[in-house]
Amino acid sequence: MKKVFAIALGIVTAIGGFLDAGTVATSGEAGAKYGFGLIWAVILATIEIILLVEMVGRFTAVSQKTYADAIREKFGFKFYLFPLASELIAESLLLAAELGGVAIALSLLTGISWHYLFPVAALLVLVLVWSASFDIIENGPALLGLVTLSFLVGVILLGPPKLTLLQTLWKPPVQQGQFADYLYLVAAILGSTISPYLLYFYSSGAIEEHWSGKSLLLNRVTAIVGMGFGSIGSLALLILSAIVLRPLNMQAGTLGEIGLALAKPLGIVGSYLFAVALFATCLGAALEVTLAVSYNVAQGFGWEWGQNQNPVQTARYYTFMIVFLLIAVIIGLTGTDPLQLALFASTVIALFLPISLSPFLFIMNDPAYLKDKTNGWFDNTAIILILLIAFAVAIVSIPLEIITGGG
Amino acid sequence: MQSIRKRQVHGLQMNKTGFSLAILLALLMWTLAGCQFTQSPFALAVSSAGAEFAAAATTLSYVHSGKISTQYAQGSFVNYRSQLDGFDRQLPSQQGAPGRASIEQLLALYKVAIRAVDDPCLEASCNWQAQVAALNRASQAFLKAGGS
Repeated sequence: MKKVFAIALGIVTAIGGFLDAGTVATSGEAGAKYGFGLIWAVILATIEIILLVEMVGRFTAVSQKTYADAIREKFGFKFYLFPLASELIAESLLLAAELGGVAIALSLLTGISWHYLFPVAALLVLVLVWSASFDIIENGPALLGLVTLSFLVGVILLGPPKLTLLQTLWKPPVQQGQFADYLYLVAAILGSTISPYLLYFYSSGAIEEHWSGKSLLLNRVTAIVGMGFGSIGSLALLILSAIVLRPLNMQAGTLGEIGLALAKPLGIVGSYLFAVALFATCLGAALEVTLAVSYNVAQGFGWEWGQNQNPVQTARYYTFMIVFLLIAVIIGLTGTDPLQLALFASTVIALFLPISLSPFLFIMNDPAYLKDKTNGWFDNTAIILILLIAFAVAIVSIPLEIITGGG
Repeated sequence: MQSIRKRQVHGLQMNKTGFSLAILLALLMWTLAGCQFTQSPFALAVSSAGAEFAAAATTLSYVHSGKISTQYAQGSFVNYRSQLDGFDRQLPSQQGAPGRASIEQLLALYKVAIRAVDDPCLEASCNWQAQVAALNRASQAFLKAGGS
C-alpha cells in the first residue's frame, strides 16, 4: 500500500511540477505564432526528459551517488567545472525568470505591478528553501500545480479546432523571414523541458529519500507516466493559444496574455486558475532550481548538504543558496520581461545541453556505477540525437535573434 | 623542449580550428540572413507592437465582459506598457524602416493607442469601446506594416 501511495504521489507531483515559466512561455508563444506547428518539438522534448529522468533515477538508486558526485569522481574536479559553469549561467537566468513568473502571477491576482512583487517572490523562495523540508518543497507546489489540468478542460470546452488550424500541425505557418524565430522557439521548447537542473534535483532527491535498487519500479513509472502526462499541460496550453490567441493576432508576448486563452472558455474562473497555475509552477521550479544548483555546487566541492539537515551543519550549502538567489534577483531587477527572460534562458540551456549532459552518457554506460543496469543502444542513440538537434537549433537561432533584436 | 614544441603546435592547430569554426558560423549566419530567414528589425518591432495592441484590446474587452478581473487587467497593462515603452523614439531609426510619411502615419496611430495602454478604462463609466477601437486600429496598421 505504501508503495502504491509512493508511485501515485510520484506521478501526481510529476504532472503538477512539469510546467514552469519556460514551458508556459514557450507553449503560449508557440501556439499563438505557429498554431500547432511546434507540437512536434514538445513531443520530442517530452521523450527526451522521460529518458533522462528514468536514467538519472536508475543511476542514483543503483550507485547510491548523485550525478554531480559521479562527474567529479569519473572525470576529475577540473572537468566538473565546465558543466558547473554552464549550469550557473543558464540556471541563474532561469531562476530570475521563475521569480518573475511568481511576481507576475501575484500581479495578476492583486493588480500590483510585478516590479514591486519581484522582491516578495524572492523572499518567499528564500523562506521556503531555508525552512521547509525536502518533501514539502517537492510535493507542495507540485500538488498545487495540478490546477494546470484546467488547461485541458479549457481545450475540451473550446471544441475541435478548425481544419485550417489543424493543417498547421504538418504545415507550420512560417512566413518569409520568420524561420530564425521558429528555430529559436524550437530551441527554447527543448531547453525549457530538458533542463539539466532536473537531473541534479532528481538524483539528490533520490538520495534524500533513501532510494535503493527496490525503487526502480517507482522511478520508471514516475518518469514515464508522470512526465508523459505532465506534458499534457504544456500541449494543452499550446493548443489553447493556437485556438484563442492566434485568430486575435496576439503573439503571447507577455505571460498575462497567455491566461486570456483560458479566460475565453472558463471565464473569470479561468483567469484565476491561470494565475494560480502560474504561481504554483513558477514557485515550484524556482525552489527546484535553487536547490538543484546548491546541491550541485555542494556535492562538487565536497561540502555537507541536504535539505533535511540543520543549516548550521550545512552552512556553506545554505550560504551558496542565498548568494545564488541574490544573483537571480540582480538579473531580475534589470526589469527584463520574465517571459522574454524565460525564452532566452531556455535557449541558452539548449545551447549548453551537450556540455551538461555528455558526461551523463558516459556515466550511464559505466558498469562500475550501474552494474547490469547500464543504458541500452536505444537510450544512447535517442539522447545523442535530441541533444544534437537542440544544440544545432540553438547555435543557429541565438545569434540571428540577437542580430535582429527579436526573441 | 620537444613537449613544449608539441604543445605549441597543438595550440596552433586548436587556434586554427577555432578560427575556421568562427568563419564557418559567420558564413552560416550571413547566408541565413541573406536567405530571408530573419525579418528586418523594423518588421519585427512593428509586428510585436501590433500584437501587443491586439492583446491590450482583448484584455479591455474581456474585463468589460466579465471574463477577467480588474486586477488581472491592471497586472497585464503594466506588462503592455513595459513592452511598448519608448517604441515611438526607436521606430524611425530601425533598420528597414519605410519612408517618413508611413512612419508618421504609424506614429499618429501609436499616440492614440498608447494613451489607452497608459490609462486603460477599466470602469464601466468611461468610454472603453473607443479605446478598444483605437487599439484595434493601431494593431491592424502595425501588423500590416510588419508584413503579417
